[in-house]
Order: sequence, then structure tokens, then C-alpha cells
Amino acid sequence: MKPRLLRPASALLLLAGLAAPLLAGGGQDPPHGAAPPAAPAQPAPQAGVPAHAESLSSAATEGGEEPAHGAAAPAGPHARAPLHVPLRITEPARVVSPGEEYVDSLAGKQPGRFRKDGEHWVDNTGEFAWDEDEEIYWQTISADQLTRGRQDFVQFCSSCHGLEGDGYGRSAQHLRPPPRSFQQSTFKFTKVPSDKLPNDDAIITLVRHGLDGTPMYKWAVSEERLHDIVQYIKSLSPEGSGWRDPTNEIGAVVETAPDPWTDESAAIAAGEAAYHRNQCYGCHPAYVTAPRLNEIRGVDPTTAYGADLTYPKLKKDSSYEVLGYKVAILPPDFTWQTMRYSADARETYQTIASGIGGAGMPTWKGAMPDKDLWAIAHYVRHLTDTWKDKPGRAAFMAGLRKAP
Amino acid sequence: MNARPSGRSLRARRPAWLASLAALLALACAPALSAQVVADRWGPNPPASAEGHRVDTLFWLITTMISASFVIVLLLLLIPVLRDRARPGHRASYDHGSSLHDKRFTAIVSVIVFIVLDASVLYITMRDLREVVWNIPRPGGNTYQVEVLAQQWAWNFRVPGPDGRFGTSDDIVTINALTLPVDRPAVFNLASKDVIHSFYVPDMRVKRDANPGAINQVWFQPAVTGNYDILCAELCGYAHYQMHGTLAVLPQAEFEAWQQEAGALALAAWDGNDSEANWAWEWKENTP
Amino acid sequence: MSGDHIHAEPTGFLRKHVFSVDHKVIAKQFMWFGLVWLLIGGVMAMMIRWQLANPGTPVPLLGKLLYPRGDGSVPPDGYNTLFTMHGTIMIFLGLTPLLIGCFGNFCIPLMIGARDMIFPLLNMLSFWTVVLGGLVGFYSLFVPLGAAEGGWTAYPTLSGNIGTPGSGETLWAIAVFLIGASSIMGGINYITTIVRLRAPGMTWGRLPLTIWGLFFTAILNVLFLPVIGSAMILMVLDRSFGTSFYVPATLNQTGGGDPILYQHLFWIFGHPEVYILILPAWGIISDLLSFFARKPAFAYRVTVGAMAAVTILSAVVYGHHMFTTGMTAMLGESFMLLTMIISVPGEILFFNWLHTLWRGNLRFTTPMLFSMGVIFVFGLGGLTGIYLATIGTDIYLHDTYFVVGHFHLTMAASSLFGAFAGTYFWFPKLFGRMMSEKLGKLHFWTTIIPLTIVFCTMFISGYAGMPRRYYNHTDLPFLRSIQHLNVITSVAAFFLGGAQLIFAFNFIRSRWWGAKAGVNPWQVGTLEWTTPSPPPHHNFDTIPTVVTGPHEYSHPALKDRDWLPQTENLPVA
Repeated sequence: MKPRLLRPASALLLLAGLAAPLLAGGGQDPPHGAAPPAAPAQPAPQAGVPAHAESLSSAATEGGEEPAHGAAAPAGPHARAPLHVPLRITEPARVVSPGEEYVDSLAGKQPGRFRKDGEHWVDNTGEFAWDEDEEIYWQTISADQLTRGRQDFVQFCSSCHGLEGDGYGRSAQHLRPPPRSFQQSTFKFTKVPSDKLPNDDAIITLVRHGLDGTPMYKWAVSEERLHDIVQYIKSLSPEGSGWRDPTNEIGAVVETAPDPWTDESAAIAAGEAAYHRNQCYGCHPAYVTAPRLNEIRGVDPTTAYGADLTYPKLKKDSSYEVLGYKVAILPPDFTWQTMRYSADARETYQTIASGIGGAGMPTWKGAMPDKDLWAIAHYVRHLTDTWKDKPGRAAFMAGLRKAP
Repeated sequence: MNARPSGRSLRARRPAWLASLAALLALACAPALSAQVVADRWGPNPPASAEGHRVDTLFWLITTMISASFVIVLLLLLIPVLRDRARPGHRASYDHGSSLHDKRFTAIVSVIVFIVLDASVLYITMRDLREVVWNIPRPGGNTYQVEVLAQQWAWNFRVPGPDGRFGTSDDIVTINALTLPVDRPAVFNLASKDVIHSFYVPDMRVKRDANPGAINQVWFQPAVTGNYDILCAELCGYAHYQMHGTLAVLPQAEFEAWQQEAGALALAAWDGNDSEANWAWEWKENTP
Repeated sequence: MSGDHIHAEPTGFLRKHVFSVDHKVIAKQFMWFGLVWLLIGGVMAMMIRWQLANPGTPVPLLGKLLYPRGDGSVPPDGYNTLFTMHGTIMIFLGLTPLLIGCFGNFCIPLMIGARDMIFPLLNMLSFWTVVLGGLVGFYSLFVPLGAAEGGWTAYPTLSGNIGTPGSGETLWAIAVFLIGASSIMGGINYITTIVRLRAPGMTWGRLPLTIWGLFFTAILNVLFLPVIGSAMILMVLDRSFGTSFYVPATLNQTGGGDPILYQHLFWIFGHPEVYILILPAWGIISDLLSFFARKPAFAYRVTVGAMAAVTILSAVVYGHHMFTTGMTAMLGESFMLLTMIISVPGEILFFNWLHTLWRGNLRFTTPMLFSMGVIFVFGLGGLTGIYLATIGTDIYLHDTYFVVGHFHLTMAASSLFGAFAGTYFWFPKLFGRMMSEKLGKLHFWTTIIPLTIVFCTMFISGYAGMPRRYYNHTDLPFLRSIQHLNVITSVAAFFLGGAQLIFAFNFIRSRWWGAKAGVNPWQVGTLEWTTPSPPPHHNFDTIPTVVTGPHEYSHPALKDRDWLPQTENLPVA
């Protein structure tokens, strides 16, 4: 070949060589059963009474069957970590603000920033703006803040919560309870009543506290970065839902009445009564014998209950979806499982009062008197402190389950 | 040209040699003794696994030998510093060290050092490796199997429920908390969802990497009941330091009670339709 | 070789001082480059130690500047970047340019009696390539999501897209590739120069041991840097072009690769790399111990043979970094045996050094102190390697602070002491001035004592089970109970860091205001000490003819002096 053509020819060859893996790597089929772990086959339906193990079909225990569903095969939502993760946001986001009261108080604290226009405020910085049609204040999160929040979100949160905040990060698969999707705008433990969105402080406090017993630890991220991350999370609501739905209200941590109980054992006794009277055992375990339960409820002493009375009951009526499937929740057994955000009676009160969003635990504030709520909080803490991880628990539960 | 130190023959200087050797050995014990003090104050807890003491024994053997070696090196460094300082009228001995005697001496010392320092350790560790580390118990019988799925930044453990079989609806899945029966060999299949982690239980003297895309096996037999730490020992991201679990080793009866209850709760939590929640794999027995 | 053809000296500032092909200028460029990066890497180490001793506390002076979005304390992602860049900078941008770039370039032509390297343009290119690599690495600190965080070892899949999105890690890989390319260029140059440009009479048996050390280093560089170069290329291809070299097929990702492939590639380079860093130091101190004991280097040929044995064996011991990855028994045991075997030539070197000192006439100059310091720190570090070579104990100690203590003593302290010894020794020849002996000795003692405390305390921490690369050791109760070890280590580290300011002050002051040096202030016989201090552009007016070895000291036939230049015969007795 002529020397003049040699260089372009070699350059072309080199390019072709580099391009080949690109073309080859993109369209790879997932290997079948090549490398573990692979998902087991569809198991048999669950028995209602947890008395013995349901065994699966023999094919499943051999482990070689093709999964009957598509989700666990490697071609899931993140079949391949993306080559390029967008890290800059150029458009600001418009989200629901914490409300008129909030803006009013902000105007009081920063008089130079706001001026009155008729009944409502005008923000010189442009962050808050009144919408005549929807009759709310919108909050505008700047593109710069979103960019910072996005980058820190990718850095700190995306491994579980997903690069797009959909709750399906590379580490999220098989996790139950699943990491939160911020595109569904339902939060379980912010202690804000379930009909409202949590305000910034509630989310920040939750991140600072962590969720006990889950991989959501107390994260060491600075105040400023966490604040930006929270703004970014708010912008993840799809259009017309969550923070982008003007009909949604932002609430604060549930109003926490002071604890009326001074005598702990009285609180516990009252709590035991209130717990069982309000039929908390409909989801959670009952912690008294059947006769005692009938006594508390004031019903016929011979009323019988299912064998799962002292076990939690799987709830399939959550509204929270993972990959299109509504995830079932097992309400905790306070003597066995770790409560997420109930380290003391006060936190327990707040969780019960505010309810757990999307998980079938209603907002109990207002549905029963505060005194009862506090009593149940004391009672639940008592159950955990006395029996969880303690050697006497087995005997205690066996005593409850003994046939009379 | 070699300038050998003149003077009395080796034979005539035997008492001096013996005295020096004795002094050296006594001196060599000093670091080993101080190492004992260090170990008592800062050492790990006594091994809680049946074979963990082998690691400690090996550790002490090596410590004793290298302490002695280091003392010898220090002495050989200090003596010239004190004795051979440059001063008026003092001259170095001219010795290239290339005589046959020197070469033989070097060879002999090297062989002795290798045998003492390395070969002894090699022999003992090879025995430990073959008897314990590579000798992974097979499933069945008394063996207790655990599947470990590491992720950023938590440990997922899966053990067979009361039915003793993997892949059934009473399999017990826990996060960051593992419960094992005492005096039964526990065999682990380690894997990872995302990046490389490493399953490290200091009190059991055990560590093995949990790789994505492959399964590693490790085993130990808990011998002492109690609570122990599980740490991650391979950098796995910014929260690598927060990734730890607890291991609870229970006596037989308590363990069975635990297993019954955990199995019952696992059954209660079982959602047959949520197949994405159920992870398990074909048990891998890769004998190394 | 066309021996006496002397090229005219270049004119113009750029050709003389910036884009020079003169090995002496390039050596100084490497020296300044290496010293600046050692400073940066050292500051990072101080920040790491600050965070470990005072978790979550704002870093004094630098905290608010470097971490403005917080209270000035090191955040967890910043911490991972710190130890990643500390390791990368110290090894690739600090020690390599200083020990190999500077001393290799300066000493080789002068000590073998040549006018320059055989490929002067390649030499200049090798410097500017490492500058480019440094710039790429520096730039990576400022991209979104920050610089690399996967450790200097950068294991996938943490260093792939799965574990580290963003461009920081990709830029890091490119920087390492460039720095590697620079070292390969240097290696080719050194080997060819030593083989082809030795002065008449400079036989292989009369080469100073410094040259032998650099020669073996260059061989390792040329053989193994391409391996890490390819590892980096594969990483960049995975990260940016969608390949799956290191991406395995698991639950939630497709791929047909293996992250362990990277570990093999990395450590096939990585273990020889530690010998690359130590061989020049070994060579330098083998010479300096002889020079300052006024006694021939004991068993010269055996020393060369030991260095050659280490060079050859270095490639086949790398698996001892991977004992916990799940390798087969045979592979593990083979690596263990070979690692034990490679310790034997090391022990022989010790033997020869100690024997060189024995019955010498010791002059305790600063270069001599640092050379003896290498014996001390490498003894400590090398002996603790036995724990890590033995699989039984390595399983417990892998990825704990024990390893950190071990490799800092063997790799960092020993190489750095060798570099300090070389700096104090060749400073007069480089710059024509003497460094202050008083400050040098002060530097030595204020370095070696805290250094020993820092890294021996790490042995204790590691034995207690403290893992490495943890942002905070106060999370776990059992680590909290030994937190005071971290405090001791950090306080000693701050003293160690501060002591280097003595060196910096001494270096800068002596460079421009030090006492003028004569031709041969140390009374040493190697060829560079026959030229003026500093040498002219062409090094030697006439290429010298060598007639004796470099270690002819205290020969009985020498009456009025105890040294002999390599160009003179021994007097007839």
C-alpha cells in the first residue's frame, strides 16, 4: 500500500477495532443460568396459618427452573449501569410550597425580600410565587440547586433509591421492605399525617435518624447538602402528582400532645387495654390470651380466634408499588422485629398518630383520644423492651398460644 | 584481600559465644513479652470458633521469631554504630566479602533463616489450610448453611427455615442480623448484588470476599455463645464503614426456638406473588 | 559511541529550562514535580489522620476551603477521595518522579560516564507525559461528583459505572495510564543507556549499585507498566464504551466479564510496582552505606544477584494480595510459597548491608543516617510481611490497619528514606551547594521517631481487627474502644508531617543560599564526583576511562586517603 494511504488506513482499522466492542457490548443477551444467583421458580401460594412450611414444587428446589416472571432476569430496569449519568439540570422545578402560613412567617422574618401585592406576597428572589388559579404559592427550585442536589443524590442515595429516584437502584433488588421511590411521593415514617406531603424538616429529620433495622442508616451528610438533596427529591414527583400536584398540601410532623402518663405501669396497663380494644391485632399480633382478649373487648368469653392471633398478618393492601407490583407488608411483631422510627414512647406516639403512608397503618390521630395513643405507645415500647432479643420471649409467646 | 579479625580461634572463644547467645535470646524475649502485653490490652477477643485458635498460634509463632530476628538486626546495626565510628587513627577493614568463605557463610545463613522463619510457618499453615480452611464441610448432616448476599451497604442473610431446605417459603431472610447454632459447622455461600464486599468476622478469625457474579465459600464452627460483629472488609463505597452486622450464636435449644419462631414469621411474611423479593440460588460447593 | 562529540549548549530560556533534553535539567524538573506532589499527598494524609482522630470535626485551616458545603469537616465521600488520591499521588506522582525520574535521570549518565541519556528527546517526553498525567489527575478533583473514590487499587465493580458514576474515576484511569506511559519511556531510556553508553572500562562488575538498582527498576517498569496500562484501558472501555471486561452477569446487570480479572491485572503490575519503588532505594543505600562506612560494599555480586532474583520473582508473588478473593488452594499455596521465597534475597541484602557496616569507619552524615534508617524501617516492615505472606494469618489481617502499617514501612518509608538519602547526597552535585548537615540530622530524627510510632501503632490497630478505609471508627463499640490508637497515630503523624517542613526549609534555603560545594565533598570515588558541582552541560570534558570498581575504600595500599576514584588504579602495595 502506498505510504500516503498507510496512515489513514491504520487509523480506520484502529477505529473499527475500537467500535467492535461497542457494537458487540450493547446487544448482549443475558446469560441463562450461567452465573448465580438466579431466582427460584414461582413458589406455591402462602398458607394462612403459619403452622408449617409450604414446600414448593420439586423443580424449584432443584433450582434449575426458568423463572416464571420477567423481573428477576438480568434484563430488569437496570440491566446495565448507564454509561453516562446526567448530572446537570438546566430547568428549574416548580413544586408545591409549604403553604400560605409558611410564606407569611417567612415574610415576617425577611421583610426586605417580600412585598405585598394585594392579599399575597411577591418574593423578590422569585422562589415563592402566588398562583391565582390554583390559589397556592408555588416554590421554584433553581436549576443550580437542583444540580447540586442531583449530584449529591447520585453520590449518596442512588445505589438503593435508583439513579432516577424510582426506588430501584442497583442494590435495591430483593430488598424488602423496598427502598422508597420518590416518584410515588408516599412516605412511611416522616411522622406527617398520611394525607399530607412531608415538609422539608420532616424528611431531613428522618434521614438524620435513619430507619432502625434497615439499610437506611444515620447518614453522615452535611446540612447544606442534605437540604439540596431534599429539594431535588421534591422535584422527582411526576407532573400532576406529589409535589407537582397543586391540590396536595404539605404538612408538618403530627401535633404531639404532651405525655399525660406519669405512672409507667398504669400507662402500660391502659395501653394493653386500648391496643386490644381498638383491634390492633387485626394486623399486628395480639399479646394477650384469647380469654383475656374477650374480656378486654367485652364480648362473649367463648369467642374463638384464628391460629394467627398472636402472629402478624400479611397486608396486601398497600398502595406502594415496586416494578408494578403492590408490595405486601408484614406489620411488625413488637417483640421480634425492629421498629423503624420508634426508639422511645414519644416517637412511637408520633408513628401511631401520623400513620404509615401507603402501608395500611391509618392515621390514628383523632381516631382515638391522645391519652389512649400515648398509652399504646408506652405499651408497645414495653413489649419491645421486655421481650425483644430476650431469652424469656419464647416462654411468653408460648404462654399466650397455649390452648385454654 | 580479606582482613579477617585476628585473635583467638573460635574454639577458644566458646564461652564468650555462649554468653552472647544467651544474652541475645534473653533480649529477644523482650519484644515477645511486650507483644503479649500489647495483645492482652489491644488484642482481639479470644477466638470464638472451634479452629480460630490456630490463627492465634500461628500469629504468636511468627511474632516470636520476627521479634528475635529484629533484635538481632538491631544489635548488628548498633554494634558498628558504637564501635566503628570514624575517629582519628581508626581505619575500616578492607573486605569485599567475595571470598568463598563469605559466600558459603551467606548461603548457610540464608538457608537457616529460611528454615527457621519461613519453612516452619509454611509447614504449620499448610496443615491448617488443609485441615480447616480448604476443608469445607459438605451440606447435609450437622452442617448449617447460610447464603449471604452483600449489597451497598448491608448484609442480607438467608437460612433455611425449620424444614431445613432452601428455596421454601419458610426461609428466614434477615438484614444485618445472623443467628447461628453453637457447635455446628456453618458454611457460607457469599455473593454480592453490586460491588465487591468482604465478609469479616474477627472473633471467628474468618474473612472472605463477596464478589458480584460469583459465589465464594467460607466456613467456621461457632464454639462460644454470644454476640459478635460482622464487618465489611473491602472498600465498597462511601458508607463502607457503616456496613456491619451482628452475629448471635445461641445454644442448641434456644436456637431451635428461634428457628421455629423465625420460620413461622417468615411464612407469615411470605408473598408468593412477589417473586422479585425471593432470592436464593443453587447452593454452590466449590471446594477450593 | 562517538565519544567526544560535544553538542553546543542550547540557548534561550525555553530550550534551556523548560523543554530541555539535558538529563540534568530533566532530573531537576522531575525532582521539583515529585516534591510538590509529595507535599500535596502529605497534606491529604494529614487530613485523613485528622478525620480519623477527630471524626466529624472541621479540618483546621483547609476545611472550609476544601469542603465549603458543610462545616469544614471531611465528608464520607471526600474521605474516600482523600485516601484514593493520597495513594495514587504518593506512588505515581511523588515517589516515582523523585526516586526514578530524578535520580535515574541525574545519576545514570554521570555515574556510567556518558554525556546524556541515549534518547534525550524521549527523556523530555517522559517528563511532560507525567506532567500531563498529573494535570489530568488534578483536573479530576473538580468534576461533578469529584475525583476517584475507589482506592488507589480501584477494584471494579466499585470503580465501574455500577459503583462510581461520573467522570472522576475515568479521568483517574487516564491519568494513571499517562503516568505509566511516562515511566515506560523512562525505563526504555535507562535500560538502553546503561547497556550502550557505559564509559570504556565501566564493566557490569564496576557499575555502582545505584545503577544496578535503577537498571532492575527500569526492567520492571518496561515489563509491567503495560499491564496496568491495559487494565486502565479496559476500565475506560467499560466505563465509557459499554464493554463488559469487568462487569459480571448478576441479578441486576448483564455482562460477561469478571471483576477478578482486574485484580489479577492490577496486581501483576502492583506487586512489581512496590519493587520498582524500592529497588532504586536499595541500590542507593547499598552504595551510600559503603561510601560512608569507608568500606567496600560487602559481596557486590551477591547483592546484584539478590536484586536480580527479586526482580525475576516479583511477577509471580502477586497473588498474596488476593488471598481472600476465593482462589483455589493450589494457587493460594503457590503464591504463599513464592512470597516466602522472595523474602530470601531481601534477607541477603540485609546481611550484606550489615556486613558492609561491620568493622567499617562510619561517618554519620545525613545520607548515612537515612541509609541506616532504611535498614531499620525495611527490617520492621519486611518482617511483618511474614504475617501477610502466610494465608492463615493473612485471612485475619487482610484489609486491616496491619497491612497499612506494613506497606507504609516497606514501600513508603523505605523508598522515601532512600530518596532523602539520595537528595542529601547528590544535592551538592545537582545544585552546587551543600544542604545543612545540622538541619538534615534534625530532619532524620524528627522523622524516624514519629514514623515508627505511626506505623507500629497501626500494627496494633490491625491486630485488634480495625479495618482500613473506614471513614469513622467510632460507629462500632469494639472500634470505639480502641479509638485512642487512632489518636496516637494521628498525633505522631502530625509531628511526622511537620518534620518534613524542616526538609523543605533546608532544601529551599540551600538551593539558593547554601554553602558552595566542591567537586567531591563526600570523598567518594564514583564518576559523577569527578565533574564540577554542578556539572557543565556536556558532563565530562573527556569521557573517562574506568579502571576500578566504585567501592575501593580503605585499601591498605592507600596511604594519605581512604578512597579511590574509579578512573585511578590501586597503588602498587
